[in-house]
Amino acid sequence: MADLTDFEAKFQVLTQVDGSARFESFGTSVLCSVTGPIEPKARQELPTQLALEIVVRPSKGVPTTREKLLEDKLRGVLTPVLVRYLYPRQLCQICFQILESGENEQFHSVRELSSCINAAFLALADAGVGLQNCFASCCAAVISNADQDVLINPSAEQLRNASSTHVLAFDSENGREPDSHLLLLESSGDFEEETLNKILDAGEKACLQTVQRLRQALKTKVEQDLVWRT
Amino acid sequence: MAKDIEISVSQGRFLIETLKQKVRLDGRRFDQMRDVDIELGKDRGDVMVTMGKTRVHCRISCEIAQPYEDRPFEGLFVISTETSPMAGPQFENGNNTGEDEVLCSRIIEKAVRRSGALDVEGLCIVAGSKCWAVRADVHFLNCDGGFIDASCIAVMTGLLHFKKPDVTVSGERVTVHPPEEREPVPLGVLHTPICVTFSFFNPEDTEENIKGESNNEISLIDATLSEELLRDGTLTITLNKNREVVQVSKAGGLPMDALTLMDCCHKAYNIVERLTDQVQRVIKEDEQTRNQYAAILSSENARES
Amino acid sequence: MSEPLEVRPVSFPAEILARIAPDLSIQRHLWLGLRPCLRSFTEFRDVSISEGGISRPLRSVTGATENDILGSNVLKSGSTIVITSITGGMVEETQPATGFDEGEQELRQMSLASDRLAKYGAVYPVVEVERGRLGAPTDEEMILSQRIHDNIISSGIIPKESLKVPVGVRSRNEDGTSEIFYSGDETGGADTRNFNLKRQWSFVLYAKIQVFSRDGPLFEMCWNSLMYALQRTLLPCAFVDERTTDLKIPVRVRGRSATIRETYDIQCDPTEFKPLKLNLGNISYGSNFGVIDLDPEAQVRQTDNEMEVDSPTSVLIADLQGEAEETSIKSTLSILTDGNGKLKHLSFVGGGAKIDTDAIRKSLSLSRERALDLKSRKEAT
Repeated sequence: MADLTDFEAKFQVLTQVDGSARFESFGTSVLCSVTGPIEPKARQELPTQLALEIVVRPSKGVPTTREKLLEDKLRGVLTPVLVRYLYPRQLCQICFQILESGENEQFHSVRELSSCINAAFLALADAGVGLQNCFASCCAAVISNADQDVLINPSAEQLRNASSTHVLAFDSENGREPDSHLLLLESSGDFEEETLNKILDAGEKACLQTVQRLRQALKTKVEQDLVWRT
Repeated sequence: MAKDIEISVSQGRFLIETLKQKVRLDGRRFDQMRDVDIELGKDRGDVMVTMGKTRVHCRISCEIAQPYEDRPFEGLFVISTETSPMAGPQFENGNNTGEDEVLCSRIIEKAVRRSGALDVEGLCIVAGSKCWAVRADVHFLNCDGGFIDASCIAVMTGLLHFKKPDVTVSGERVTVHPPEEREPVPLGVLHTPICVTFSFFNPEDTEENIKGESNNEISLIDATLSEELLRDGTLTITLNKNREVVQVSKAGGLPMDALTLMDCCHKAYNIVERLTDQVQRVIKEDEQTRNQYAAILSSENARES
Repeated sequence: MSEPLEVRPVSFPAEILARIAPDLSIQRHLWLGLRPCLRSFTEFRDVSISEGGISRPLRSVTGATENDILGSNVLKSGSTIVITSITGGMVEETQPATGFDEGEQELRQMSLASDRLAKYGAVYPVVEVERGRLGAPTDEEMILSQRIHDNIISSGIIPKESLKVPVGVRSRNEDGTSEIFYSGDETGGADTRNFNLKRQWSFVLYAKIQVFSRDGPLFEMCWNSLMYALQRTLLPCAFVDERTTDLKIPVRVRGRSATIRETYDIQCDPTEFKPLKLNLGNISYGSNFGVIDLDPEAQVRQTDNEMEVDSPTSVLIADLQGEAEETSIKSTLSILTDGNGKLKHLSFVGGGAKIDTDAIRKSLSLSRERALDLKSRKEAT
């Protein structure tokens, strides 16, 4: 069985922005760009902290309220992990372009959301914007059978049959357990408290594993960067 | 803030000076286009075009819609070109009212949609009530000049690559067959227009109205971002492989010698021919990898082609 | 040279401190075991509702028929008033071509049956938070509307089946009076065999949710108001004229191009309404919570001796109210539950305090109680 937290990451795919990353995992592909800290517009400026501008663009069609909601959820995850007091009166633009959705966009956005969060981590690290901690996300689905099996990073097909869908994001310094902290939990569908606990456990494990892998990807990138070559 | 990016005076002077000595910063000849890399995604109609550092992604999609009342036999075709700050800080999210953005989307629109590259009558399902609405979403990912040329290649490759679901029609009733049920059908692409953009520079301080023998004006094909920022005039020619001029767009700027236009068309034609072949080769290769078992599974008789 | 500077500690009255340092003010309150609104930590605001007051079907008895509202609700909680009005429109359904290949049809049935969410219809909500000025919808309004829309579908409240338009036929009697027959109608038994409509329509429901005097997070209030309104929504019956039921599609030629235009003229019956059938088991009610860390620095020391050392480090706060709570409490939890242990939606954003399993468990049980309470109010009216 393929490892479901597996992904492919590319850095510095764009040249006009400060940091960028492409995150690809089982049919979902997201490109994230980070520009900042830059000078904000007057209405965006915060006197003591870094302001965030988050833009999500869908692969098909024009951005709608669906993307607005995604932007809001991403803001909820990214605001606490950025070291915002370091950059007062400045702005950070974070753009996401969904290249491949990997799910039925009409009903779901869980794969897109979790891939965006992971792409954002890589792009922010690439741009060198101060982060409080490493973070990662995964999505989960509960299959409507007697056992209420939890699937981590389900496919589009599995999402169609799922009785509930969830997105989780955790932050963690190095992907080892005790220090992790829940950043986001978005569940919808039909589920019970017991299922929720199962999902929190399974999701935390998957997120921690992803943190380790993301760190590994960053390590490889830094090793390959020109600056570090001898 | 969507700020206009500016090039420093010394950098600008240097660039013009090198052009005077017939050298481009990236080592290309004046009439040489950057190498175009076309990458097809897993889904049909998912194309990434890379030209040097410029990168454009195009996604074709379709859905059932109602045709316009005055054109009951035609389907709908929309090309959307929206910019985001991803391509560079000079672009603002969702704001396409800037002069360059409007010009760019107009030229692509004219090159592809108005030239009839897509057979819209083939998109009709039930006359007057149902048709396919095909949309091409162009995403500008990285801006290093030549957005128009790259977008046009991306849209055309996407249209050639895309397949719409098969439908069964009986009277008013329409069934859309999912791809696993019936093989989707390709779109009717009538010709492949390709845009080639020329940039003109006047290295002298004064403008020459009468272009004589001593004309020092420089024309470049496929300018990069810094060349685009410094250019005095631009011309976009859209051609297809049949040697037909689809569009010539010269919106102000440096006046050009009428005879240069013919010269540009000739230069552009060679590029268009090469790019059309490349697009078709990419599509064909993709078709083969998708259908590697078709030859074994098919029961067709061998035909002369 | 200058006079000696005298530095005096500045003290602010409580209401001024709440304006200039909301986070400090809230911490001080919390150390006293109270919230700025003087509720205890897990106390909810009372909710009063009035249902159907402005809907047309319910008022038609009294002769007030001047609006198109199919269902409505007014919800008051604290100083906030939420007014939901449900209106509708009709769209034609795409009918699948039948009778081609049995295997193909079976396959389609199977793939439709396996797609859970495709079976449910939606409501298209428009949330308007009144601020005394007009303009394009704000981000907050768009996000609220989309969240409500997504949750209506994912909880499976409205089966697509119940949005189908019951179409009747209007036939003209010899004496010039017209009568409308609906299929399944007892009185029109003989006429129902004439029902050979080739087409089908279904309702599209819109919900306009207006919020007055915003005071804290809104999603749950809007959601609850919509739930009440949906349960009191009546859909009109519709009819077509008898002569159109067996009409061939006419073709009108204009110049060279033929325009094919349908003359199905479907109209809504102004008096005949049927209740919207919902999956009542999937109806849920919302409640929100916040988790905040107590800051020992902000503690107000009442006596010289230190306060108890084992005081909690973070507290769970129910039903956030006011700007201070909304901006200072960064970890928020929003839960939709039906009160019987089934959860429909849970959204946690952890910008501030860390949430532990105890806090989740406690908030879940509180939200269940709250949902049961809200549900009983519906039955009472």
